[in-house]
Amino acid sequence: MNKLNRREFIKLSLTAGSFLALGGSSAPIIKASGKKETPEKLIILGLDGMDPHLVDVLMNQGKLPNFRRLQSLGDFRPLRTSTPPQSPVAWSNFITGMNPGGHGIFDFLHRDPERYIPLFSAAASEAAKSAIKIGNLVLPLSGGKIKNLRKGRAFWQILEDHDIPATIFKMPSNYPPVPTKQQTLSGMGTTDILGNPGLFNYYTTEFLELKEDIGGGRIHEVYAIGNKVEATLPGPRNSFKKDRPESWLDFTVYLDPVNPLAKIVIQDEEFILKEGEWSDWKSVRFPMIPTQSVPGICRFYLKQVRPEFKLYISPINIDPSAPALPISTPPAYAEELAKKFGGFYTQGLPADTKALDHGVFDDGEFLEQDNFVLQERMDIFDHELSRFESGLLFYYVSSTDQRQHMFWRYIDQEHPLYDPKLASIYGKTIESIYIEMDRMLAKTMDKMDKNTILMVMSDHGFTPFRRSFHLNSWLKENGYLNLINAWKQGEEDLFMNTDWSRTKAYAYGINSLFINQAGREGEGVVRPGAEKEALVREIAQKLEQVKDPQTGERIVSRAFVAKDIYRGRYVEEAPEIIVGYNRGYRASWSTPLGRIPKNLVEDNKEKWSGDHCMDPNVIPGILLVNRKSKVEHPALYDLTATILDVFNIEKPEEMIGKSIF
Amino acid sequence: MWIFNSIFGKIFEIIFIPFRSLSPWVGMTLISLLTGLLMLLIFRYTSNQEGIRKVKNKIKAHLLELRLFKDSLALSLKAQGNIFRSNIKYIGYSGKPLLVMIVPLILILIQLNFWFAYQSLQPGEITILKVKVQEGQNILDLELKIEPPRSLAIETLPLRIEEQQEINWRLRAKEGGLHSLVFRINGQSFVKKVSVAQKPLSRISPLRVRRNFIDELFNPGEAPISKDIPVKSIEVKYPNKNMNLFGWHIHWIIVYFALSIIFGFALKGVLKVEI
Repeated sequence: MNKLNRREFIKLSLTAGSFLALGGSSAPIIKASGKKETPEKLIILGLDGMDPHLVDVLMNQGKLPNFRRLQSLGDFRPLRTSTPPQSPVAWSNFITGMNPGGHGIFDFLHRDPERYIPLFSAAASEAAKSAIKIGNLVLPLSGGKIKNLRKGRAFWQILEDHDIPATIFKMPSNYPPVPTKQQTLSGMGTTDILGNPGLFNYYTTEFLELKEDIGGGRIHEVYAIGNKVEATLPGPRNSFKKDRPESWLDFTVYLDPVNPLAKIVIQDEEFILKEGEWSDWKSVRFPMIPTQSVPGICRFYLKQVRPEFKLYISPINIDPSAPALPISTPPAYAEELAKKFGGFYTQGLPADTKALDHGVFDDGEFLEQDNFVLQERMDIFDHELSRFESGLLFYYVSSTDQRQHMFWRYIDQEHPLYDPKLASIYGKTIESIYIEMDRMLAKTMDKMDKNTILMVMSDHGFTPFRRSFHLNSWLKENGYLNLINAWKQGEEDLFMNTDWSRTKAYAYGINSLFINQAGREGEGVVRPGAEKEALVREIAQKLEQVKDPQTGERIVSRAFVAKDIYRGRYVEEAPEIIVGYNRGYRASWSTPLGRIPKNLVEDNKEKWSGDHCMDPNVIPGILLVNRKSKVEHPALYDLTATILDVFNIEKPEEMIGKSIF
Repeated sequence: MWIFNSIFGKIFEIIFIPFRSLSPWVGMTLISLLTGLLMLLIFRYTSNQEGIRKVKNKIKAHLLELRLFKDSLALSLKAQGNIFRSNIKYIGYSGKPLLVMIVPLILILIQLNFWFAYQSLQPGEITILKVKVQEGQNILDLELKIEPPRSLAIETLPLRIEEQQEINWRLRAKEGGLHSLVFRINGQSFVKKVSVAQKPLSRISPLRVRRNFIDELFNPGEAPISKDIPVKSIEVKYPNKNMNLFGWHIHWIIVYFALSIIFGFALKGVLKVEI
């Protein structure tokens, strides 16, 4: 080996020294995007559920000055939504520039025709294909998969082909995120680490009528012994063990004998909460086998210490600093955000509407929780806006949608749950979130230069949801659906009591109606062709005649026949009829579950009081843009064509929209 | 014990003074180098260097024998037996210096833990302050008062955990500095230091303990609490710190041993030490 002279030694030492001095400081920043400097920049604010009528009213009242300013620079129009106007469907129209016949998302739920069971329409998980079994242990030889079921290419993939950079924040119907080098973070459809849309845990010493497992949450009855509560936090199923048992973490809560305080100790975390206080994000790790664990993050809310102990734990979100499931592209994007902002809600729709519905939260607590969501979104938005220089920035906000769902009952005096006293407190909630979005728009407009095109859009609007229609009960009453035991009507879910050999049609999802087709359904009876065609037309016609016996109003304003309205490769997979409900009406919560209650229509007594799963003509979304639209009635899929047009990219053949400029 | 801790602690402070604003890697490299040198010197003066040299040569010779006479089973077995015996002898020679090394090494590790295992609180950060009370004291009746400086805030009433004889508070750091939290109990007062926004290489003392040899040995950061005060310990929960190597978080003790061994082997020729 050559000897170093003194000068070389000093040089080498200094190099090594600076490596050591700098090496420990931080990992290199990974930034992914296209390279091209674009002459025009495009910012799109996707404000879920913003309603054109409300925007118009509030603009006229001077409460949305920046919306008005944007309109004066260009245009404000209702935006034609999807059929049905459900968020996963509508956002898929926007992502692909196609309608459901092209992208294959027809409803929140789809169904397995062979077994008549509901399936989540947006994503599916597949277990590892092969594994070695040693006693109780299962060692997978390959990884499991989560598959995005949406078909068609996303517009940011097309932009990537042309080297146009894009940041797509929380786009719904993009879980897991489709492969791309663009910066994307998955949105609606992203599950918690248990694989649910979001399952909260609630611990109480109070005796509750609620069952242990309620939709969207779990109730745990606990005991405070010697000012100490010991409980467990359920985690994901352990696929390394036979029969995939549920994993869990033990935790302890110490209560002060007098003061309204508690200390929570869970794994390495210990923290004190006052009554009525929220923790920040806490990291947890569910052990699977000695070398494997699943990380997650959650927040704790100490609702009450005495007389009854009440503790809420948020759904365990995928930890963005070490995602157990794919939530971003490139994977380092989520980690980069986590490094800058700490934990944040990664689940698709984080506002805990189920906790409010089941009375675990009151209205104020729900708003407090959703304010955390909104604040996180706004912090990341400021960051993304400040570094946006070229290409496209799409930014999504869910609070507009979630608050309208839950607080419509305070602006609709005809709603069965309208309460004038509470309306005086929460009646301005919806207005406030619109005003908040106006502030967001102001920030965006400040960033805008003459080469920036700014669009504000929503996937649909909103209307009251006052009355629930049991579509399967209507099918039964009209002889299209028959039961095995008529006396058991209303007792079973998932069509367990259905006599399929005498059933011609059934409804799953919120707007979907299927024909029990021979050769497709497991016990199908209706022959495809003329017989099916006639039946579809007959049911659609009859549905449009149905009237609410209480009000005399039509329940269904339009029953759309899928093959009349859809285009694309997947039309055959569509439900035969898409039910477009009239203003104030919607499918009951029993309908998507395959339940057949005895009555046809009933009051909606849920806090989920505003909705959009109706006739798409009743609830268009909004489009505000700082340029004039040449299209009189633009639709969601027109915006996709417009995005490509802004960057001079030719529209692919399968896209059905046209540029609005 | 406290006098020893003060002096020993001061040595480390002096060693680290020039490097406190730099990445902890610099201080870690320096202390590992010094440790490597110290261990080599201990090894040199406490071990039988001549004996080690001889036994190592013997092992080499027997290894050669193994290679040369690999066709002869009897000779191969005999060589293996001799290698085994020489190894035992080598371990015997290394035992003495290792026993001598272990005491200074433990003392060094205790000190380094306070420099490399914790990071100071950041302004706005919250943590838990814990006071463990002597057995036999009723924590519900205890008149324990805290006087925080303006740079720290006690955010909660006391949370008393009887089964652990412990009182907890939530503490929020507001401004940078090495702050003193004053506790008053039965007319007496004592202090716990709280580190906020300190330099990258700083000594952090999470626990102040009551006068007791073992407790003081392992918690040398602050003077012990007087035996007249019915408090066993005061603890500030600091976040743990790891050595960050391009995004890899490695426990400081692994880095320390790895670097010390590397330096030891690199310098054994220079110092003419037979290991």
